[in-house]
Amino acid sequence: MKLLRDIGLLYKRKLMETLRNPIYIVMSMLTPVLYLILFSPLLNKLVGTGGTRSVLDLFVPGLLVIVAFFNGLFVGYGIIDEIRNGVIERFRATPTSRFAILAGPVLRDTTNVLVIVTLFTLVSVPFGFRPDPVGWLVLLVIISMLIITTASFGYALGLILKEEDRLSPIVQGVNLPILLLSGVLLPMELAPTWLQVLAHFNPVYYSVEAARVLCAGTIWDAKVGYAFLFMVPLTVLVVAWATRAVRSVVA
Amino acid sequence: MPDAVVVTEDLKKYFPSRNGPVKAVDGVNLEVFPGEIFGFLGPNGAGKTTTLRILTTLVKADSGAATIAGFDVLREPGDVRRNIGYVGQAGGADRPATGRENLILQGRLYDMTLQQAKERAAELIAALDLTEFADRIAHTYSGGQLRRLDVALGIMHRPKVLFLDEPTTGLDPQNRANLWIQIGKLRDMGVTVFLTTHYLEEADTLSDRLAIMDHGKIVAEGTPTELKKLVAGDTISVGLMDDRKNAAIAALLAQKPYVRDFTVDDCHLRIVVEEGSKVMPELLRLFDQESIEVATITLAVPTLDDVFLKQTGRTLRDTESAGGEQG
Repeated sequence: MKLLRDIGLLYKRKLMETLRNPIYIVMSMLTPVLYLILFSPLLNKLVGTGGTRSVLDLFVPGLLVIVAFFNGLFVGYGIIDEIRNGVIERFRATPTSRFAILAGPVLRDTTNVLVIVTLFTLVSVPFGFRPDPVGWLVLLVIISMLIITTASFGYALGLILKEEDRLSPIVQGVNLPILLLSGVLLPMELAPTWLQVLAHFNPVYYSVEAARVLCAGTIWDAKVGYAFLFMVPLTVLVVAWATRAVRSVVA
Repeated sequence: MPDAVVVTEDLKKYFPSRNGPVKAVDGVNLEVFPGEIFGFLGPNGAGKTTTLRILTTLVKADSGAATIAGFDVLREPGDVRRNIGYVGQAGGADRPATGRENLILQGRLYDMTLQQAKERAAELIAALDLTEFADRIAHTYSGGQLRRLDVALGIMHRPKVLFLDEPTTGLDPQNRANLWIQIGKLRDMGVTVFLTTHYLEEADTLSDRLAIMDHGKIVAEGTPTELKKLVAGDTISVGLMDDRKNAAIAALLAQKPYVRDFTVDDCHLRIVVEEGSKVMPELLRLFDQESIEVATITLAVPTLDDVFLKQTGRTLRDTESAGGEQG
């Protein structure tokens, strides 16, 4: 079928880019590793007094989620380059489906994130992180939805704004509140009620909550259910919106 | 005449702006026939690019209709896309990939098999002189090399019409001349080419037929020669050794049917004729017979800029410095 074939072709194009520059994967590993080494020790005392869960069981699942979020949000810069070089316009003048023009790069980003998440999990094991294997696999599904959503969002922003200077404030403006309200750095249970309420509007929060119980080995949990309930429609909506953005962009 | 491959009827596209709508395309009617190179000449902001984007399904017209190879751009965009090649102003080559990879992917997006795409890519690499850099990453290409790859991408699937938007903008004179040769080759391959340009020489050299556009409207259309005939004619300037025979010369020129107009003062003669290159030898013979000694003689043919001036009251060279926004 033409659609699937075109998605495959455009996916391969972007994948070749990553394979030619594997340094990107290493750079993307840097952020979570720095968090692991320079931030997680801060949590030691906090958790040591408060409970029996190890710091890494609390912290690493959230980091896995945030890696997906970060990697997706910044893809807009890459597509601005391609708009400027006329690549997107050239594809739009071919019979290729507009959805494939979006899906190719998004699937490449998803692949990148899954590789990074796997590598980072392996890096965390010697530090003492012991995720439940089945739970971890289910988490990969949630992470995939998250990267598909954020990458599509990032591309749509790039396609609509077309300039780095206009993209930056929005990306930064979205980035920080989502991170702070995700409960990655500190569990949201510590937050006052109003902050907790606010967190419930954050899709990343549900993913982080689900990630923790999944890595602990609980799959049939309400938190996992909420994550799917929130992420599935959100993914569909954002992908549809981003496809529309592809439909109308000109260089 | 064969059926036109591009037909537009009263095409209109307005863009909103603070000072009321900008009439980017304001009632464009044109026809392009198979095998010809059709030039679209006009200053920046004239509406050329917008017209091209409407024809290539990238932008929707507000009103009017256009068909490419018999397919309606609005109702049958998929069929239109299959029949056209498009090289935008920005080019379109994917920089992190090699030229050959770019070409093969392009062919595959037009439903060629991998084998077909490879063969066609090799064919174009040879035909458009891309061999020496085809397997390098496009990031490393010079502006001229990128442009040639862009053109190859545009004709990868053997389109019925190739649209080129300002193909030589930003190229140095040598690369521009080289690209003209490559575009000339397309004519030999039988590709119909629709190109926009704001360079007079380019429109003049490449086009079989051209339309001049200004403020969203077509102000003149025809072959370069036909268009230039719209202006007064060729001018022959003659410098004489002396002015003793001026009265005789005036009497002589007044009799000649091919002389449209002339002025004689001092040792300088200015003669306006229909076709200067044909008249010049005859004039020289005449001067010889009458023992009129000629010091210098030059022929000035009208340029497309003279045509633009006649139709719009401005010259393209003026508008070039005033312009800047995209057409």
